This record gives sequence, C-alpha cells and structure tokens, in this order.
Amino acid sequence: MNRTIQFAKRNFKELSRDPLGYIFCIAFPIVMLIIMSVVNESIPKEAGMTVFRIDNLSGGIIVFGQTFVMLFTAILVATDKDTSFLMRLYSSPMRSSNFTNGYFIPMVLISVVQSIVTIIASVIIALIGGTELKPLGLLLSVFTSIPSALMFIAIGLIFGTLFNEKSAPGMCSVLISLGSFLGGVFFDAEATGGVIYKICKCMPFIYCTRLTRSSIKLDLDMEHFVLSFIIITAVAAVLMLLASALFKSRMNADK
Amino acid sequence: MESKLISLNNLSKSYGSKTAVDGIDLIVNEGEMLALLGVNGAGKTTTIKMLSCLTRPSGGTAQVCGYDVVKDTDKVKKLIGISTQETAIARNLSVEENLSFMAGIYMDPDKYSRKDIKDRIEKIIADFRLEEVRKTKSCKLSGGWQRKLSIAMAIIGDPKVILLDEPTLGLDVLARRELWRAIEKLKKKRTIILTTHYMEEAEALADRIAIMISGKIVMTGTLTELEEKTGQKGLENVFISVAEGGTL
Repeated sequence: MNRTIQFAKRNFKELSRDPLGYIFCIAFPIVMLIIMSVVNESIPKEAGMTVFRIDNLSGGIIVFGQTFVMLFTAILVATDKDTSFLMRLYSSPMRSSNFTNGYFIPMVLISVVQSIVTIIASVIIALIGGTELKPLGLLLSVFTSIPSALMFIAIGLIFGTLFNEKSAPGMCSVLISLGSFLGGVFFDAEATGGVIYKICKCMPFIYCTRLTRSSIKLDLDMEHFVLSFIIITAVAAVLMLLASALFKSRMNADK
Repeated sequence: MESKLISLNNLSKSYGSKTAVDGIDLIVNEGEMLALLGVNGAGKTTTIKMLSCLTRPSGGTAQVCGYDVVKDTDKVKKLIGISTQETAIARNLSVEENLSFMAGIYMDPDKYSRKDIKDRIEKIIADFRLEEVRKTKSCKLSGGWQRKLSIAMAIIGDPKVILLDEPTLGLDVLARRELWRAIEKLKKKRTIILTTHYMEEAEALADRIAIMISGKIVMTGTLTELEEKTGQKGLENVFISVAEGGTL
C-alpha cells in the first residue's frame, strides 16, 4: 500500500506541475462552458433546444473534461515508459497493482477537482442567467461522475500502455472527439434520433452524460439515472481490469 | 575468505533466432566492482536486465546473494539497485523529491522510521554532493547531474548490489570524472557491476574486468591478469587483441 501511495504522490506532483494540465483539464472545459452558455442565450426559446441550458450543459462539460484526464493519463504512462522511468521501477519491489492503482488514484482526485470547478463555474453562470440549479443534484453529480472518470482513466492507461508518447495523444484526440460527439455533449442525441442515436446508444459515452445530467437535475429515474449508472460502472470495471491486465503483461513483455 | 554475491552459471538469453547472451559464467565477490566491458550489442545490457529481473533468462541460472533471479524475484529486487543506460528520473520532481520517492519505494515504513528515511536522504545528498541542486527540478539539470541523481536513486535503499549500465554514456569529460568520483566512493561498501565500452572507465574504476564479445564472456581478470594472458600492455590493447581473436 505504501508503494502505491508513494507512486500516486509522484504522479500527482508530475501532473500538478504541468501547466498544460491546467489549461486542458480545467481552463478549456470552463471556456467551453462559457461559450456554450453564450450560444444558449442566442438560441430562440421557440426552438426548444435545451442541450446548452446550464443544467444540461454542466453535466456534459464534466464528461468532456474527463476526456482530457484520459489524455493526460495516456501521456504520463507513455512518457514514463519511453523514458525508462518505468523500467527502473519494474526492477524495484513494486508490483503491477502498485503501478495501476498509483496511476488511478491521483487521476480520480484530479477528475473530482475538475468536476467541482465545473460545478462552481456552472453555479456562477446559472446565477447570472437566472437559472436555478439544485444544490443536492450538484453534489450528487460529483459522486456519480466518478464511474465515468474511472472509465476514461482506464482508457488513458490502456492507450499509454499500448502506444508511445507521440502516438498516445493522437489516439486520445480521436476518442475526445468521438466521446464528446457520441456522448451528446454538444448536441441533443436523443432528439436527433435515427442511426446517430442508435450508434450513440451502442457506445458508453452517452450514458456518462445522461448520468451526470440526471444527477444535476435530480431526475433519478430508471432509464436516465439507474440504467446509466449500471452501464457506466460495468464498463469502467471491465476497462479497469483490462488496463491492469495489459499493464501487467507489458511489464512482463520482455521476459 | 571472499564470498560470492553474484553467480552466473551458463546464463543465456535469446530473442527468437538471435542470441544476445550465450552461456556466460561469472562470479562477483562481495565488495568487488566488476566492469563488464564490450562494444555495443555485446550483451552487457541484457545481462544486467537478467540480473535485475527485467528479463527472464532463456537458459542457465543467475543468483544474487544466493537467490535465484527467476524463482526468488521479490527477494532479489530488494537486494539490488539499478541505474539504467537512459536516465530514469521523474522529470517534474526535484532532486530531493526523486530521492524521497525512491526511498518510499525501497525503505519499508515498518522497518524504517520517518527520521531514518530523512537521514538516509540527507546522507545521499551529502555523499553525492547534490546539495546545490536539491530543490531543482530534475528536468532542469544537466546530463551529468541527472546521471548522478540516477545513481543516487539506485543506492537510496542501501542495496547490497548495484548495477550501473553505461553510467557515463554521452557525458563530457568533466561530468564523467565527477561521476567516477561518486562511483569510486561506492566501492568496497557494495558489490557493483558496471557495464561500459570506455576502456579508461573500466581501467580506472574496476577491481576486475570481464570482456564480453558477441554474447560471450571471453576473458575475466584484473588488468594485470588480462595483460599477462594476452601479452599486451594497457586495456585497449588487451581488448583489441581479444576482440580480434589474437588470444582465442
């Protein structure tokens, strides 16, 4: 356990000292939150488009921000691997679980901080726009966003393990675009319907946004909250196991 | 009586049809510094990787303090410290934080108090003369300082065996000499295997030299013994003589 904590502390320090981390994980999602809120003000009420309304948008932006946590997880793992830092640690008494848990813990913390910052910004925007947000819903969303954070971190760990420090960010960029599009962060997938909605429903991303949105609105029904929570938790668990297995096999790859 | 700390018996490693290490036998005694000398691709790094449990041997055995590197991996890992060919440090952490991190990995909190760990870090900083850069982020350090830190990180857990893989590769002459001084201080207190392709490095630092060519150890001994065996003067001439097959 001590080795996991030591490694997690090291990873947290590495990330917290990277200015790009603040720009992508904190500033960029907030900028998108502000821009989309301004867009929302420009949409006529008669259009009936609510995807950019702050109670919907904040949930989507929380998930959007998590895709950047995935990116930084992948970069950290790939860089450690490519600079022989991991090789040194492979020869130490650390076990593969120390490594994977040591990557997950700081990333989850960063993701929670990111969600809180997004919620604070959302509250400010809601106050300016005169929209009411439910405090209990906001608090709930911090917790219900953790399964999707774990899912994205697991994907980051998989990409970082499989790819080098140049190709891992590229792969993550593809997933950031796919995740925000198929997750319905910036468009109303349900209202669109058709093939697009069917594709969205086959991917886990839409359940992430559904879960955070329904949490914020305290709309705890079976379809949007319970089912999404079960799906995301299951996907996160599978991907975490896969990430751990892949990392372990990579650790022993040379043997 | 000298005690064997490292023992390699017919050790080999193959990658597909390519044999990187070809049935080598070697003994390193306690407190001894052995230089594994060879050109690039001779199999030095693969040997170090097998000793540090990073690579599983294809054949033969390797023991560290009596523990087998395959069967007793956990025990072996606690006994060794390694400084890899490429500088393996946490780039955004300061020198002190890098040492503290490695101390946290190697020094079990059930066995060592916080004060013990702190004292250990201070001792390493003093021994390696890292005081002036202790708060500097390691990515801001020069290549020489980074290598010094890398070696300091390898010994923070007070290992019985230190494996230094090409520790001065790519350093300028001043940085190399400074690093030699740091390595010199480790002699006698610990058992060290150092790989290098710099003749003067092996000559200056090692108690014994093992010449490795194409995956085989072709000659082992002190410099004087190697000179006697080959009839050559100086390690470079000895090496060339052996490499060109003059004595084989």
